[in-house]
Amino acid sequence: MKLQKQNLLAILTLSSLLVVPAREGFAMQDAEQHAEEQEVGNIAAEAEDHAAEEEQLDPVHHGSDSYYLDFTPIGKLQLPRIFLVRGNDGSFGVEVYRSTDSAIDRGGYLPKMEEGVHSVLDAKLEPDNGHILIDFSLTKHLIFAWLSALIVAFIFIRLARMYQRGIGRETPPKGLFQNMFESLVMYIRDEIAVPVLGAKSDKYLPYLLSVFFFILTCNLLGLIPFGATATANLMVTAVLASFTFILTQIGGTRDYWKHIFWPPDAPVFVKLILIPVEIMGLFTKPFALAIRLFANMTAGHLVILSLIGLIFAFTNLFGPIVGFGVVPISVGFALFINLLELLIATIQAYVFTMLSALFINMAVEEHHQHVPDHRESDLGRLVEAAVPVESLTS
Amino acid sequence: MNPLIAADLLAPNLGLIVWITFTFLALLFVLKKYAWGPITTALAEREERITESMEQADRALSEAKKLQADNTKARKEAEAEGQRLIREAREAADRLRSEEIANTKTQILTLQEQAKQEIERERDSALDSLRLEVADLAINAAEKILNENLDESRQKKIVADFLSTLSKN
Repeated sequence: MKLQKQNLLAILTLSSLLVVPAREGFAMQDAEQHAEEQEVGNIAAEAEDHAAEEEQLDPVHHGSDSYYLDFTPIGKLQLPRIFLVRGNDGSFGVEVYRSTDSAIDRGGYLPKMEEGVHSVLDAKLEPDNGHILIDFSLTKHLIFAWLSALIVAFIFIRLARMYQRGIGRETPPKGLFQNMFESLVMYIRDEIAVPVLGAKSDKYLPYLLSVFFFILTCNLLGLIPFGATATANLMVTAVLASFTFILTQIGGTRDYWKHIFWPPDAPVFVKLILIPVEIMGLFTKPFALAIRLFANMTAGHLVILSLIGLIFAFTNLFGPIVGFGVVPISVGFALFINLLELLIATIQAYVFTMLSALFINMAVEEHHQHVPDHRESDLGRLVEAAVPVESLTS
Repeated sequence: MNPLIAADLLAPNLGLIVWITFTFLALLFVLKKYAWGPITTALAEREERITESMEQADRALSEAKKLQADNTKARKEAEAEGQRLIREAREAADRLRSEEIANTKTQILTLQEQAKQEIERERDSALDSLRLEVADLAINAAEKILNENLDESRQKKIVADFLSTLSKN
């Protein structure tokens, strides 16, 4: 067994999980015994252990998901691995390990070292007996999504308490905290929900608020040191877009479905062309939502890391003196992109919320006999206003 | 850049999808129940309260303005009324005085007239009685002077002549 990371966070996250004991048992117990012995100095050893892998800076790898929290140069915090396994004998089981190392050493998992994989931490694991059905392992992006959810819940439950105490309800709002977050809530309500959804805004406001603040917090967490952007993960943005998609379809009126499956005001042969287009349109909207957020959040990080990477590239090519010379330029540009990302983090949260509201409204609004010309309508103008934003980072 | 690692960014991860779905559902539920509910109702309540207070203030203001206008109007009316009363009183007094003067004048005139008539009457009666007295005196005197038989018609003619000369004086 390799060195084990012992950390309060790991225990917290593990203990919060609902765990079904696996057929091969819980790896936890041995792990705890070892953990005490190895508590001291393991971080330094860990850093040494993986030091060789860090010589090359790989922006894509940095931005992608992983089974550890990267605190380089301090070390890496491996996250618990949870597998839904189907054994060779056909049995199902859930296996939980404290870390990737533990899964390999205790659980007998084999890391598949494919080309380009430098560390077992990034390798795909294969159980010795059977195969993994679903990998429920906690990942960096999941941890940061949880962190965002906790931050959002903490902030807004605290805000709600203030209103329940009467501050802001019977008296004017008090203090920076309440004023700041109230203005954001009011902005979503008065600038997105009400203008787009009109009378139905009350029904969808909780979703729009939740999605806005969750995405915003996820985006911003990616900008802090050692942070990761959960929204730079296509799975996360796809799930969020699916929520919008499902809400849209659930709220769809008769007119909405009629426009898709039998568009009015069109000759029959045009209808036959339109129907597949409309059905595709159902899915392209959430697809665009997911891709837009994912690409915007990934792109910014790639640009920053590439700029920082220039330092090392120049050092390798022309020697350390040129490398040092590039530092101010690289850092200056990276700082600029970082500030731009701060803007984009907010804009993308806004755009996702605004477009969600628009898509929901297209389904739930009471249509008149034909679809209004989108360029003429308010919605059309809002959509057009939102479009240039996408191209900011592309 | 290794294409395999680049594919990392797009690699599907079913477990993560499940986790994120439950995470977001939980967040949605918790926020809706404990945050957005109280916050949005409180905000709506406050807005309503503010709108109501503003309307109330507007109403109070317009009421006050109306009251003020009423007051001004009442004061003006009272002033006009007072002016009118004074004017009327003055007019009445003037009329009364002029009437009084006219009355007094007519009274004086009547009295004067009466006095004149009285004087006339007194003078006439005095003249009459004087005339009778004179006639008697004349007759008596004539009888005494003309103790002779002078016929009566002649006597009377003499007297009448005498009297006519008297009356001309």
